[in-house]
Amino acid sequence: MKPTLLMAALAAAPALVPLPAAAQDLVTRNRVGLADAPNTLTFRLTAYDLYSSDPATSEAFEDLFSDFIEARPDWKIETQLQTGNIGQEQARLLQQTQAGRGPDCAMIDSSRLALFKDTGVLQPMDMVFSEDDVADLFPYVREAVTNEAGEVLAWWWFTDLRVLYRDTSVVPEAPQTWAEAQEAGLAAVEAGREGLLFNGGRWEGTAFDWLANFWAQGGELVDADGAPVFAEGENREKMLAAIAYYQNLVESGASPRRVTAIDDYDAFTAAAAAGTASMFVGGNWQYGQLRATLPEEQFANWAVSELPGPAPDQRATGTGGWTIAALSEDEEKRRLCGEIVKEIYAGPGNAAQGLLPTSAAIYDQYDAYDGAEYDLFAEALENGVARPGAAIYPEISNQIQIMLGNVLSGTAEPEEALDAAAAAVQAAYDRQ
Amino acid sequence: MRPAPDRGPGAAHPAPWLLPAVLVLAAFYAVPVLDVARLAVSDATLVRPASGFSTQALRAILTDPALPQVLGTTLLFVAVNVVALQLLGLLIALTIARGERRGLHGMAAFRTLVLAAWVVPGIANGLIWSMLFDEAPYGTLNSLLAYVGAGPVAWLSDPRMALVSAVIANLWQGTAFSMIVFYAARRGIDPTLYEVAALDGAGPWRVFTAITLPLLRRAIAVNTVLVSVQTLNTFDSILALTGGGPGRATEVLSLFTFNTVFYNLDLAGGAVLALLLFVIGMGMTLAVLAAGGRGEA
Repeated sequence: MKPTLLMAALAAAPALVPLPAAAQDLVTRNRVGLADAPNTLTFRLTAYDLYSSDPATSEAFEDLFSDFIEARPDWKIETQLQTGNIGQEQARLLQQTQAGRGPDCAMIDSSRLALFKDTGVLQPMDMVFSEDDVADLFPYVREAVTNEAGEVLAWWWFTDLRVLYRDTSVVPEAPQTWAEAQEAGLAAVEAGREGLLFNGGRWEGTAFDWLANFWAQGGELVDADGAPVFAEGENREKMLAAIAYYQNLVESGASPRRVTAIDDYDAFTAAAAAGTASMFVGGNWQYGQLRATLPEEQFANWAVSELPGPAPDQRATGTGGWTIAALSEDEEKRRLCGEIVKEIYAGPGNAAQGLLPTSAAIYDQYDAYDGAEYDLFAEALENGVARPGAAIYPEISNQIQIMLGNVLSGTAEPEEALDAAAAAVQAAYDRQ
Repeated sequence: MRPAPDRGPGAAHPAPWLLPAVLVLAAFYAVPVLDVARLAVSDATLVRPASGFSTQALRAILTDPALPQVLGTTLLFVAVNVVALQLLGLLIALTIARGERRGLHGMAAFRTLVLAAWVVPGIANGLIWSMLFDEAPYGTLNSLLAYVGAGPVAWLSDPRMALVSAVIANLWQGTAFSMIVFYAARRGIDPTLYEVAALDGAGPWRVFTAITLPLLRRAIAVNTVLVSVQTLNTFDSILALTGGGPGRATEVLSLFTFNTVFYNLDLAGGAVLALLLFVIGMGMTLAVLAAGGRGEA
């Protein structure tokens, strides 16, 4: 053996010797707990907490998961990461679960929860959540996570909402109406900034953020049976009014044309950090990101307010977030899944990231929610609207993205684009 | 009397020797294709298995008003890419070959640099170019253009320009493959031919049109087939770059298929589109081979 190979073999030898259990790492890239623990729970999660790229967040969740698994030495949790492509990941999760190859416990996007409920793959976790726990949930959350029998089929562990961010040095007063938002955008452009930024690219965020303008007028996407009705009767007029709002913003110059290429909330944070943004429609979680990104004196200029409506008393905001559900029929695994939610995510996990809990009690329990911005978020949540629990929603969203892209880039008139979207959604619905 | 050529064992009865290869091909290629064909004539969705034979998906997809636009975008995207990939790949391959012949330093590094783009995954390619094309006031390419008093360019927000941007991203990544094919073919040409041409006083253009190009004909045909099929199947870089937008401006057939399955949950419709992709790819291959692939190398 050559000397270098011998040295390499000697250097690698310690790695081949089994370590005592106490020395093994409890949290790895694909496991929480000891590798030789007799019981295994598979858990599919997003990359925003335990495996977050933000060291503070991942460390907080590593501590929570370590405490959790130390109290259950007979268990290990095999973790499976989802990518950020929600549509593809959630479709794959559903398909695998139906085929009996899914994980025991998984994070399900709130917009897809109804689809999972309809297909009957969610397993109750009532043994973990009391009636009081359920009663403390926000009404739209409670309705979404329980079935007709009152069983808890998932736990919506955080919610989010869209708000209007503005640099008060350029836009001192919060625009209350669409007209005021356009005026403020034009004034910001005159001051050398970009006007009102919003998602306009081809992704879910575009449809969801914009739908607040439709919902603010009382519009409905689907009827009680889940059939699409967004282009019928009064809904049609409300759709056209909401399209006209965005179209006017772009055509007047109050919003830059580049909005049709924005497909990521981080673009707004970047623009704020670069000092080019004046206003944007963003998620509540961006408040913490701005605080962490901007210099203190620059951050002091930024404020949040409710999204403008057609009139001051007509407001809405889209509420999203993630749920966790048990997909295994095994009672022990269902229990463990529920306990992960209760002991790690809903409460300490919320506070660690500043994510909005779905239970009123948690807001009082943690100091993290003492900031003034949370009062505004709580106020705005009163006008919160969740995406409809209908299997056709993903296609409605897809067609709204296409419709807005075509109108804002000037390749279609609003009525023509709405008709095309309605026809495509109806055709998809007929075949579902 | 000439000796009989050595035909090797099994030449008289090739079937048993071919059987393993045929079985592997059938298992890994034919069965999935047949399964896609089965799904195409069913009513399967991602949440409901097929319940029987149905041509509804076939009719719905073929009469979808969006399909002509998607096919048009796909045709334009593939045609421009195939032509440009050939030209750029050939240009780089000949540049490297010429550089090597003259003993220029750095040719290996240049070749490696071009190849580096090829190993970048499609999604990463889309993300890299989306950062470069960013239209924000601090966007990379527009900032560079501003230095020379040009721009800004609506790289991704203008529907026509968005397709051009998608083509640029694909060219950046795909040129390396064409370069490899042409470089290998160019190295296979007998150098004596070039020496004779030099003795005859032939200029560079004459050498290119009379020797290089004719002898690369087979490589061009093969490369056309390969890059056509590759480009036809491109969707990951477009997904990351534009998502198919604005509107449907950059939604090519493969991305349309992806959206049909994962937004519509329409497995049968996606299978119809996958078959359409297969037919178009096969048609292009046969057409290219018929037009230029059967000549002498």
